[in-house]
Amino acid sequence: MSSPLEIPEDGWWDRNINRRESIWLGLSGIWSLIIFAWMSAFTRIGEQNPIGVTYQVSAREYQEKMQSYKEAASERGDALVPPDTDVFIAAFRFSWDGTPVVLEAGTEYDFHLSSYDVQHGFSIRPEHALSKQMNFQVLPGYEWILPMTFDEPGVYHVICNEYCGNGHRTMHGTIEVVDER
Amino acid sequence: MNLDVLGLFDNDYDTEGFRTCSVTGLKIHRSAENYVKLFGLTAVVALLVGGIFAFTVAMTRWEVVGLLQPSDFYIHLSLHAWNLLIFWMVFMEIAILYVGGPMVLGRRLPITRVAQTGYVSMVLGALVINVSIFLTSPPDTAPLLTAYAPLQSPPAFYAGVILFIVGAVVAALPFFLTLWRERREYPNRSLPLVAFGAFVTSIIAVEALVGGLITFVVTFLWRIDLIQWMDAAWYRQMYWTIGHGTQQINLAAMVTVWYFLTHVVGGAEVISEKVSRTAFILYLFFINLGAAHHLMSDPAVSVGWRIFNTSYAFYGAAFASMIHAFAIPAGLEAGRRKRGKGGGTFGWLTNAPWANPVFSATIFSIILFGFLGGITGVVMGQMQVNMTWHNTFATVGHFHGTVAVGTTLAFMGLVFFVVRTMFQRRLSFGRMASLQPFFYAGAMGIVVIMMMYVGILYGVPRRTAEIVRNIPGTEFSLQAASPLFAIFGVFAILAITAGTIFVVVAVASLLIGDRVTGPEDNADLVPDGGAATDDKPVHAYEMRGTFLICLVFMAVFIGSYVINWYVLTELWSVGV
Repeated sequence: MSSPLEIPEDGWWDRNINRRESIWLGLSGIWSLIIFAWMSAFTRIGEQNPIGVTYQVSAREYQEKMQSYKEAASERGDALVPPDTDVFIAAFRFSWDGTPVVLEAGTEYDFHLSSYDVQHGFSIRPEHALSKQMNFQVLPGYEWILPMTFDEPGVYHVICNEYCGNGHRTMHGTIEVVDER
Repeated sequence: MNLDVLGLFDNDYDTEGFRTCSVTGLKIHRSAENYVKLFGLTAVVALLVGGIFAFTVAMTRWEVVGLLQPSDFYIHLSLHAWNLLIFWMVFMEIAILYVGGPMVLGRRLPITRVAQTGYVSMVLGALVINVSIFLTSPPDTAPLLTAYAPLQSPPAFYAGVILFIVGAVVAALPFFLTLWRERREYPNRSLPLVAFGAFVTSIIAVEALVGGLITFVVTFLWRIDLIQWMDAAWYRQMYWTIGHGTQQINLAAMVTVWYFLTHVVGGAEVISEKVSRTAFILYLFFINLGAAHHLMSDPAVSVGWRIFNTSYAFYGAAFASMIHAFAIPAGLEAGRRKRGKGGGTFGWLTNAPWANPVFSATIFSIILFGFLGGITGVVMGQMQVNMTWHNTFATVGHFHGTVAVGTTLAFMGLVFFVVRTMFQRRLSFGRMASLQPFFYAGAMGIVVIMMMYVGILYGVPRRTAEIVRNIPGTEFSLQAASPLFAIFGVFAILAITAGTIFVVVAVASLLIGDRVTGPEDNADLVPDGGAATDDKPVHAYEMRGTFLICLVFMAVFIGSYVINWYVLTELWSVGV
């Protein structure tokens, strides 16, 4: 009787393993290797990777960057149109500075994400397909540059999904993606 | 210490303070038993407190009810999380260490004074945390579990956390001393598997707790202005050593409890000591790296860091979990076949003691943890898929799949077992007690699935009071998720009812339950046919039922994986 409550008999290391358990060990091992290889390979071949460059930046420095970006940007209605392919967005309680913003479909933009105060969550999805959503953490003190290319025109909504205080649920921004071709 | 409250600590011991358990056959010393009872009872109190807040939190997220104001919601959510995810679990885990060490080895609990100090410190810490969260007022905010600096919480909260963590480490010391003495006395003897599992658990625990101590001491100093600057990325990386580390303690403790309970009430055997122990060793080295999945959608950590942590190494632990996923049901299958309870492919399972809530709770814990918590944990831990899960309600679904059905059900089974064998009380409301695990597992399982769906299919965020029907200041809403939230709400009420039944049964059994007067009263806890006698080695028994179940598990795993990746590749391109 091999009980988990008793000291195992001598030679337990050399006991045979049931054939089906051996097969299962093989299957599990192979599966672990596959999911490792796929994740690693996707950083090279895939289109969706949360990679990008991070710089340390103080809230004041980022505010200054934001200011010069806004001055260079043009306006369409109440929305910003970025001067080039750099898009600056700053999170602060309880708003997304830099939104609304108008972008072109098919153009690769470098999103600069940072926060003036606490941690926030950049959760974005198009109005017409809520299941197409992505989520990123936004940290104060860090500027994250994340390249993004929108395929489809439409209004994309950004809501904060990291708790940042009582007004957290009101923290909403929009990105309008238009077809310029 | 002479503990005897309400006749709860009054078993018959011999002159040396030992007695023999009629169910497990273990030689149990009074000191160990009393502390197991003490920590177990305290855990149930925490479960009750956390469960009350489960109700207010769920009824707020179900916006048709919309119970709480946003200003109260996060406070309730924080109390829910601390009492269930930390206090209920950690008090149980200390009890499990005392079972896995002194009881299984037939020793007394050494340095009880230290155990007592640890207990007092943990209880004080828990009280301070609860009170400080409850009294949170601006500019402080409630901490939830994460307390993400630089968002600030009351200074007393951080102090309470430190007190609790120190208490937990101190309470673990008698366990370590027990093992040390055992090794000194019998240097060439292997530990029983349950003691080995408890030992691995305790090492993972100390790693997590020491990491947490560093995090929270620094954060406390920052909060009282002795440190000027708090780096958000540093905090996140440090916090998650304990934030997820504590959940890895739950996992390792739960797996240990699975081996223990499937054996004592189901007749399971260890089909391969070598394989099961190797899996525990893999946990020891790799499982804490699973914490990295919280940082997958963060800035400030390099790609190499992410791939190493979640991929090269963490799958070492995922592999280990798949090993246990076979070894535990296979142990049950082989053990029952050995007792002549085989019968076809699944007869060993269908004729098992399902009316015994200790057994059914354990089995549901294994199934639901594997299918709901385990699979989703690995899938969402993939760096890229994480973007679609991060901070959505689906994440909440994942950890309710691991701890609310998995660990909680295993621990509920263990509490029933302790009531029967250590408090020596029969369960009150027998039929209700029998059905409780079915009720809880069924309702909570559906809650978990709904949480995942609203997170993945609609991107509903976590940590928000209300947002589905109405985001203030915009026409935009996540209204499409409402029907699923209705299912969520109804089943949340049912799950909380089932949780209430658990507490009622456990407490009523202690206070008014019939005393166990002889071994015959606990006869139903002993596996059918008693101890098996034949000499055929365990590994020679058929395990085809388990193998089939595991193949189904693998198919679901691969299916979830493929679906999640498909959803991801449908998105616009991001990153390089």
